Amino acid sequence: MANRDLGLSELARFGFVDLGSTMAKLDQLVKLVGDPGRSALAALGATADPDQALNALLFLAESNTAKIKALLKKDDSARRLCLLLGASSAFTDFLMRHPSQLDVFEKPAPSLTTAAQMLDSICTSVTTSISSGADTQSIWNALRIAYRRELLKIAIFDLCQSDVEAGLPTVAAALADVAAAAIEAGIVVARHELKSSTDFGVFSEFEVDNTAFAVIAMGKCGARELNYISDVDVIYVANTKSDDLESHRAVEVATKLATRMMRAMDGTATEPMLWQVDPNLRPEGKSGALVRTLESHVAYYDRWAQSWEFQALLKARPLAGDLDLGHAYVDALSPKVWASAMRENFVESVQKMRERVTDYIPANEIDLQIKLGPGGLRDIEFTVQLLQLVHGRTDESVRQRDTISAINALANGGYVSRSDAQQFAKHYKFLRLIEHRIQLSEMRRTHLMPTSESKRRALARALNLKFHAEDLIQKWESVKLEVRALHQSIFYRPLLSAVSKLDNDSLSLSDAQVQDRLHAIGFSDPKGALEQIAALTAGLSRRAAIQKQLLPVLIQWFSEGSDPDAALLAFRRLSEDLGDSPWYLKMLRDSTGAAERMTQVLSNSRLATNLFERIPEAAAWFEKSEDLLPITKNALTVEFEAIVSRQSLLEPAAKAIRGIRRRETLRLAMGAVLGDLTIDQVSTGLSDLTDAYLKAMLDAALQLEGLDISTDDLNAVLDLGIIAMGRFGGEELGFGSDADVMFVYKAKDGVAVDTAQRVAARAINELKLLVKDSLLEFELDLDLRPEGKNGPSVRSLESYAAYYKRWANTWEAQALLRARVIAGSDELRDEFVALINEYRYPKELPNQAVIEIRRIKARVETERLPQGADPKRHLKLGRGSLSDVEWLVQLLQMQHGNEHPIIRTPQTLAALKACVSVGVIADHDARVLEEAWILASRVRSASVLWANKRTDVLPVDRKQLDGIARILEYPRGSAAQLEQDYLSHTRRARAVFERIFYGFISDAD
Amino acid sequence: MDKQRDFVLRTIEERGVKFIRLWFTDVAGTLKSVAIAPAEVEGAFAEGLGFDGSAIEGLARTYEADMLAQPDPSTFQILPWRGEIDPTARMFCDIQTPDGKPAAADPRNVLRRALAKASDLGFSFYIHPEIEFYLLKSTQLDANGEPVPVDNAGYFDNVPGGTAHDFRRRAVSMLEQLGISVEFSHHEGGPGQNEIDLRYADALTMADNIMTFRTVIKEVAIEQGVYATFMPKPFTQHPGSGMHTHMSLFEGDTNAFFDPSAQYHLSKTAKHFIAGLLRHAPEITAVTNQYVNSYKRLWGGGEAPSFVCWGHNNRSALIRVPLYKPNKGNSSRIEYRAIDSAANPYLAYALLLNAGLKGIEEEYALPSETEDNVWGLNDAERRAMGIQPLPQSLDHAIRKLEESELVAETLGEEVFSYVLANKRREWSAYRAQVTPYELKQNLETL
Repeated sequence: MANRDLGLSELARFGFVDLGSTMAKLDQLVKLVGDPGRSALAALGATADPDQALNALLFLAESNTAKIKALLKKDDSARRLCLLLGASSAFTDFLMRHPSQLDVFEKPAPSLTTAAQMLDSICTSVTTSISSGADTQSIWNALRIAYRRELLKIAIFDLCQSDVEAGLPTVAAALADVAAAAIEAGIVVARHELKSSTDFGVFSEFEVDNTAFAVIAMGKCGARELNYISDVDVIYVANTKSDDLESHRAVEVATKLATRMMRAMDGTATEPMLWQVDPNLRPEGKSGALVRTLESHVAYYDRWAQSWEFQALLKARPLAGDLDLGHAYVDALSPKVWASAMRENFVESVQKMRERVTDYIPANEIDLQIKLGPGGLRDIEFTVQLLQLVHGRTDESVRQRDTISAINALANGGYVSRSDAQQFAKHYKFLRLIEHRIQLSEMRRTHLMPTSESKRRALARALNLKFHAEDLIQKWESVKLEVRALHQSIFYRPLLSAVSKLDNDSLSLSDAQVQDRLHAIGFSDPKGALEQIAALTAGLSRRAAIQKQLLPVLIQWFSEGSDPDAALLAFRRLSEDLGDSPWYLKMLRDSTGAAERMTQVLSNSRLATNLFERIPEAAAWFEKSEDLLPITKNALTVEFEAIVSRQSLLEPAAKAIRGIRRRETLRLAMGAVLGDLTIDQVSTGLSDLTDAYLKAMLDAALQLEGLDISTDDLNAVLDLGIIAMGRFGGEELGFGSDADVMFVYKAKDGVAVDTAQRVAARAINELKLLVKDSLLEFELDLDLRPEGKNGPSVRSLESYAAYYKRWANTWEAQALLRARVIAGSDELRDEFVALINEYRYPKELPNQAVIEIRRIKARVETERLPQGADPKRHLKLGRGSLSDVEWLVQLLQMQHGNEHPIIRTPQTLAALKACVSVGVIADHDARVLEEAWILASRVRSASVLWANKRTDVLPVDRKQLDGIARILEYPRGSAAQLEQDYLSHTRRARAVFERIFYGFISDAD
Repeated sequence: MDKQRDFVLRTIEERGVKFIRLWFTDVAGTLKSVAIAPAEVEGAFAEGLGFDGSAIEGLARTYEADMLAQPDPSTFQILPWRGEIDPTARMFCDIQTPDGKPAAADPRNVLRRALAKASDLGFSFYIHPEIEFYLLKSTQLDANGEPVPVDNAGYFDNVPGGTAHDFRRRAVSMLEQLGISVEFSHHEGGPGQNEIDLRYADALTMADNIMTFRTVIKEVAIEQGVYATFMPKPFTQHPGSGMHTHMSLFEGDTNAFFDPSAQYHLSKTAKHFIAGLLRHAPEITAVTNQYVNSYKRLWGGGEAPSFVCWGHNNRSALIRVPLYKPNKGNSSRIEYRAIDSAANPYLAYALLLNAGLKGIEEEYALPSETEDNVWGLNDAERRAMGIQPLPQSLDHAIRKLEESELVAETLGEEVFSYVLANKRREWSAYRAQVTPYELKQNLETL
């Protein structure tokens, strides 16, 4: 047959996929239209989807043989037809419905139809239809067909461009113009309906004629950068043109005009709807009046409008209807847009804008989103609009509606460097082009990259005939990456330019401009921030050079934390302390993960920030998360012992030991802020640290000289032990907890009792002095010792035995439940434990003792609570909080510890679990207690981290609550949620506590 | 919203309103009012009106006293009893903390939260209350220490030339002027006792309406030289004043309680809802019947619903499923009869709603219907039929309340613990009394 000489591979070269049947289809075409069918092959090969184009061509040729034949005869009309058919199946359907429109392809289209021409042609179709007396649906059909004919012309122009990206702004503008023309024609239809029909109420011709009605375009249509298919965002304004028509009446007429016009666009008729006209950006959104007078609009924006509503006005433009009124609208409102940028809540509205960029993308679409995903169109628009808002306040030249002009204006104004602007514009056009081609194909409003291979292939060919699907995806991915990086270099990098010379970058902002930007991202003292930046980037040192590189990104991270100003200041101090240590610079330069973690700590924890200033070298730990793990107790002990044995003088040794404690506390704090450590790890780490710290200090104190005894080695005189008590004993320390302790000694053989006592007391006094640390508070609390504050600070083992035998009362036995010997010989430990076990795990706990414990607890509840404190919010002594849970566990331990050795442990949670396992408390009760205990502990710990101040009360201040909630890994703004959670957990725990501890039984039934 | 604000500001201008009262309700259910001048209204809309919340019962802890009252423009009404001289209007307010978040202790917010939960499940909640109250000659007691009613008529009696008749006519017309539709009004069982039924509305509007209603009734009484009381049980020998409440859930325009094929046309949803109410009734009673005096009504015999059961047109049951007019599916509803006229409607309705929703969510099974007059059964019979009593005193109700997760969750921890503390205080104050009853019974014999 005609194409017999064509091989399949040749067809493949033309771009066909379905090779087998293509031959037959081509034959079929030739049979229908003759030779031109053969020559069409070249035109088909130049299309995005030759298979689709050929199918469409065949389909059309079957019923419109003569027309297709004529079009295919000439090379250029054949090219136009095939390009369109290959690019859009939606338009193929349109041409099938209306073959008369095929004449569009006849003439070449070197330039676009002007807006006026489009308006004229669509309106003419409509008026012709009206004057022929057609019904409403038919008029709508006429309007829509005329619109699609114009749209078809634009599509052909678009597809025929030699440089499609360059043509994009023109095409997008034309798309907005043709939408405007359709709306104008829609108004003509609406006016006609209102005047001629009785269905639509009671408006007289006079009233309709004297109503001025203007449509203002917002969004992409306002900016003249519309997509092929998209909602058209509008606002309506009305006015009366005659003294005899009251303005509220005119608004009624205009409301009817607006609704009828919208129906002309989207009402049901044989020719499908065009698109939705979306009037929801109007004052009060969906619930507001559809149409307002100009005065009413102005009054609204003066009095009620939110900041974001002003942002929407950035793009407002008179679109259709009474253009004088439209211009009056824009003239009246555009100054307000810029006045709004001066408002107080500007920063929040910028944040809202940013949230809109990242929110609301379904997870399965995030990688396919061309518009909303990371590195998508929205990112570019966000950056551009943010810069416009920041700098447009003082510089009118950047107040541009469309993105491309805005980028250019920002470059011309010196706010964005030329090369960055060029890149940005290029990527923007590329992404828009993909979006256009995807939409053109089926005329569907979508911003998703197609998933099917064949559609991706067609899309790739639409950009470049030599492109494969993989090329497209590769290019797209690289554009996305660059767009994200450009946001950094366009917004944040120039922040440095005012105070330091940037290399290879001619761009330089003024102080005021930089401060505007800093303010916009949440720095409350932009001037101060600028000073820090200046100091950090001053000079020609390597450090300054690296910080110049890094600061833009650090500033962004700081601005996401809870206190950017303080964090930047802390960073500056840190950087000054570390000077030019090579490892620090290397870490900053090479490890972005480490730098980000550092900003997180600096902007979220005052405790860590303070310690940091003392121990700047801790910055090295950010690099590896292993470095943030608590050092093991053994390692700590070894380090401390080495110091004690190395230093012959007491004070230097103590100083070194304190230094290590600060260092390790910082390590734990960092781990806690970064969420690397669990609450268990933190409390065990802190307890281990305190154990080792005390032991080391005791060792140091025992090196003491000048005592009035014969030997230098005090260890030869006595065996001195430390007993950890309370939460310290239970290894449940938090940041800022006191360390409860008691001291015990045993005199060595042959040492006089009073000598031993004197030596021990002296050593303990020394110890108490040594452990004090003005930089990181350490409280040694000896109040749990026998006789409390009145007793001697240290006793011999025999003295303990005698005391407990004669005097021990129940609360002392209870306190001993948490005793844990942390220093002293094994022998001393065993003897002491054997001694106290008799009291803390009695064979039988007399009822009297149980009552005594209950009474003390009841008294503590009312007496120990600080004056005016809310018991519901007290983390330690409050309703259902730490002490309730602990007292209950301790009661159970005293009652059952003798029988069940497994529950003998100073640790609350471990004891609670053991109690469940031996059946002395129900599992579900234990769980309620455990949850409340853990939450109260975490809140307590977090509030120290957050404020660097110990507090036992759940704060009421919203900001503090929110800060604590952030450390507890709640989302931003969870103050109320945290409060609710805390109160409900403790309420339930209290109920369990009352029932079991007090034996309270409801007598209600 | 903003359209309504414009309307408010315009109306204030046009009608020459001189004062605007901002209304809100404390946790105990007492209406609070702050009057502001028209010039301050715009600012109050924009930023709320700051006030010292610590002065209001249960509203704020003393240390965070600054609160904001944010007027709700949709509730704007001119108060009719103020007449044409110095016209005064009112708006209900939402209470906010200084950072603009809804205050946890604002009863209106409690109800809003419950309604939002219902809305997440696709429901809107409608209420139709029958509010009873007594008209007394004054607050003075007679020689026997009892209040003096305005008349001695009974149920549905038409009292010729009676105060009650004029009273109701005037009250109904005032309510209508305030945009509150009245379904029905008649003389009730006790002397001087009246009932006015409000036409159904969504729960938040209705709670606002009830607060307004109480004020209107009190105002009209003052106007007519009598005294109106919503006290649950002012007379030992006469029936108490209840607030029987008809409830329905709608899914869009469809009544979710209606199923044309089921018995009594009760849908599955309705059955679960009733089951939820029944199961949780004892624990919410301290809120629906919040005073010591409330329990005198609940256990005063007559038609009072003392036992947890339901029935079709059973006038002694806690929940009654009223007779429907055929083909009026949208009027399907159930009537909860325990709640009294002195309840805080915001809290009570939030709890009724959440109890019912809990039944729906967890698909509680509906116990079988009780057809007998429960008062006629003896204790053993009731026990055999599994019929529980409602709490018998405020003390008993508090004990049920304090164990209730449902109430804690619905009210929020703040309100929950306030209510508990407040009710415990009331109970211990009551218990400390030596009553005339004791003196009469014991003084002369012991």
